[in-house]
Amino acid sequence: MILMNKTLFIANMKSNWGVFVFIAGMLLVYVVTSVSMFDPESAGAMKAMFDMLPECMMKAFGFDGLGTELTGYLAHYLYGFIFVVFPMIYTIVLSNKLVAKHVDSGSMAYLLTTPNSRIQIIRTQALYIVISMLVLLSFDVAVLIATSEMIQPGLLDICPFLALNLVPYLIIVFVASISFLCSSIFNETKYSIGFGAGIPVIFFVLKMVSEISEKLDVFKYFTVYSLLDPDRILTDNAYTTILSLILVGASFLVFSLSIIIFNKRSLAI
Amino acid sequence: MIQVTNLTQIYKSGKGIFDVDFRVKEGEVFGYLGPNGAGKTTTIRNLLGFANATKGSAPINGKDCSKEAAQLQSMIGYLPGEMAFFDNMTGLEFLRFMTDMRRTKNVARRDELIEQFQLDIDGKIKKMSKGMQQKLGIITAFMHDPKVYILDEPTSGLDPFMQNIFLALVQEEKKRGKTILMSSHIFEEVQRSCDRAGIIREGRLVSVEDVNNLNEMKAKTYIVTTASKSDIIKLDSSNLDTKVLSDLKVQVSTSYPYQPFFSLLATCDVTGLEIKHDSLEDVFMKYYGEVGDFDE
Repeated sequence: MILMNKTLFIANMKSNWGVFVFIAGMLLVYVVTSVSMFDPESAGAMKAMFDMLPECMMKAFGFDGLGTELTGYLAHYLYGFIFVVFPMIYTIVLSNKLVAKHVDSGSMAYLLTTPNSRIQIIRTQALYIVISMLVLLSFDVAVLIATSEMIQPGLLDICPFLALNLVPYLIIVFVASISFLCSSIFNETKYSIGFGAGIPVIFFVLKMVSEISEKLDVFKYFTVYSLLDPDRILTDNAYTTILSLILVGASFLVFSLSIIIFNKRSLAI
Repeated sequence: MIQVTNLTQIYKSGKGIFDVDFRVKEGEVFGYLGPNGAGKTTTIRNLLGFANATKGSAPINGKDCSKEAAQLQSMIGYLPGEMAFFDNMTGLEFLRFMTDMRRTKNVARRDELIEQFQLDIDGKIKKMSKGMQQKLGIITAFMHDPKVYILDEPTSGLDPFMQNIFLALVQEEKKRGKTILMSSHIFEEVQRSCDRAGIIREGRLVSVEDVNNLNEMKAKTYIVTTASKSDIIKLDSSNLDTKVLSDLKVQVSTSYPYQPFFSLLATCDVTGLEIKHDSLEDVFMKYYGEVGDFDE
């Protein structure tokens, strides 16, 4: 069984490198500034500065509990907002471009009139999202570790930090699978983009709202992003393992569903 | 080779195709004729396995395109009615991409076609004119030397010179024993290049005819200008199907035999004689003697 089509995968790379570079670059800027901004001695001063902000605002952006220790600081600073929102944009854009846009414009007809089954074509597109996201994050994390070692040698606990990146990646992939499903099943662009972008954005807004105050805490049960709890991921191994397995399973399920439905669909191309 | 059998696909709007049934024999050029929106593209979507029929089937070479697409596609050359490529590629990049996707090794045919159609392969596709994109589509459909061609409105966007080159290509492929189904809303095009034609209207196949029969049935319309009004009256009072356009102009519709018309003309002082090209709508009206609502 051919898992994916190499030619199509390379063509995807060529036509989507722009958004890849943009998102990777944005993350890079935040990675480098956040590492260089950290100063164990003045961390207290910075904390004092953040304390001047209204509490709800800090919480909403995940700047609370920054602490004075680099690993925890990076985990909160990056995974509170930046490493959630930029990958989300990336997967929304890609999901739409790789399937719905080809169907809408009709260029999907060219892909399907080659001796490759519909399943192979759509599976290649799904794998492209999962793999390119992995490459994008790995690159930024590698740069982050290198910068830390240069600017703050020895301060970053590399092993736990690497492990910390797994759960966010899996959450990003799960959210991507929802965008991909919408892109694969709807005939009209307004629905494929509306739901494909709308659901992740709602998840994200709910996460921010739930963190503003205790009263709004209940919203955390309605968003997958609340599973991203850096402190727990860093300390609770069992939680991390089970959560990872569930996320892998759920993403696999949603991607498979997208592929099955797309394969059976009547396409107007 | 192509067996469209009781094919029905009904859209939510209630439009669609209903019990379309025809065969295209191996080595035949079959014209699929109908006004825009009649259901030509819907039929083709089913042939290629993009759309799921409500009822019926449309196998090619005995195989169902939706189930056995992967095996079948390498012997089909398809030209979509709507041009949509990978816009950011150049012409050559797209042709290379399609060659790789099809796993064809030989590019001699591709280069031959590029030469023949004078395609500028280095320009970005999105910067290309409609005609240029149509040429790219044609080359994509023909370059892997398939057995069966399915061409949706192949000459749209081409200038008359390129139309001739294309129609010559179709004849050449026919001589090589290829099977060709081409849709069109232009009667003359089908008349020139096809052996048989299926005529579809409002989702229903109204007739499958030998193109020669259609030609005989098709009346020709002439616009005659004469020097005096009396000649117009003479023509109008004959047995011919006429319509007076002005004091010195009359429109005459006639089919074979033409002899009575021309002998009558010989007695008149004719200053001008033009052939009016019938639209598909006119052909339908003459053929079926009824007026349909055509949204051209």
